[in-house]
Amino acid sequence: MSITLRILCILGAAVTFLVIAGRVRKARVRIDDSIFWIVFSLALLVIAIFPDIPIFFARLFGFQATSNFVFLVVITVLLMREFSNTIKISTLNSRLDELVQEQALQAMEEEEDGTQR
Amino acid sequence: MKILAIIPAYNEQDCIEQTVRSLVSTCPNIDYLVVNDGSTDATREICEQRGIRHVNLSINSGLACGFQTGMKYALRHGYDAAVQFDADGQHLPEYIPAMADAMAEHNADIVIASRVLAGENLTGARGAGSRLISLLIRLTSGVRLTDPTSGMRLYNRHMLDLFAHGRDLTPEPDTVALIARKGGKVVEVPALMQERQGGKSYLDLPHVVRYMSRICSSILFLQWFR
Repeated sequence: MSITLRILCILGAAVTFLVIAGRVRKARVRIDDSIFWIVFSLALLVIAIFPDIPIFFARLFGFQATSNFVFLVVITVLLMREFSNTIKISTLNSRLDELVQEQALQAMEEEEDGTQR
Repeated sequence: MKILAIIPAYNEQDCIEQTVRSLVSTCPNIDYLVVNDGSTDATREICEQRGIRHVNLSINSGLACGFQTGMKYALRHGYDAAVQFDADGQHLPEYIPAMADAMAEHNADIVIASRVLAGENLTGARGAGSRLISLLIRLTSGVRLTDPTSGMRLYNRHMLDLFAHGRDLTPEPDTVALIARKGGKVVEVPALMQERQGGKSYLDLPHVVRYMSRICSSILFLQWFR
């Protein structure tokens, strides 16, 4: 794992952490939703500071270069996140539809009750 | 049979009043409900001023959501059937009674108003798309539909329940295919249609590509998991 990649990992971790901390401070993201990014940036930091960890696993799985292993892990983690986000957005859309419908039907009924009286 | 015409309307200020008037004068026994899907034009004001029965979705939520609102209303108010009816004046109300007769006669779950059975030849890209969808439906569910993209469909009580409570049941051909494959009875009756009477159509290329890829992938791949 080259020194450049380690520095980039540290920079990436720092930027991720600072950005997400800033959003939490301004209450733009909920604590619950920030945890993934905190853990993600800490993991990057650990990989950069202790390269022996990714080197060990890269050798164990037979990767030619440790950096390939690091990339694969990062891509996999982000893809899983993207997938779970898709599911989450889908669920939210269904709930939003349901709310909009119920609100609309209730408003209609209330208005009709009003005109009947 | 107590029928509700569900008229989803998004920015239909030019034709909504005319559509409702012709429906009411042609079929006085049929109730209707306009579902104003967060229109940004004067659709809502027109409905309020002219006393058109309507329900307002506070944000634009799409045809499926609007239609489902109508289905919930129909179910809660004890309707026996509901017909999907376009706000733009394409659909002719005089065919609704024939659709209801066909529903009673064949004990059908869905009755589709077919332009093709009425002798119309769907030409151009629309015809090609329609034939492709017909083919896919025949291959996957064994049901022959001449006009699957017709938006004028009558649903029975059982379907009201399904659509009101179901998730992701769009009032589109892929749902018809799914219902047919699950043993629902789908029949067609001949019906002519008009060109839209005002407002703008969404038949531009991006919409068509999205529509076709959605319908085709839904019929070909996804319906087996539902």
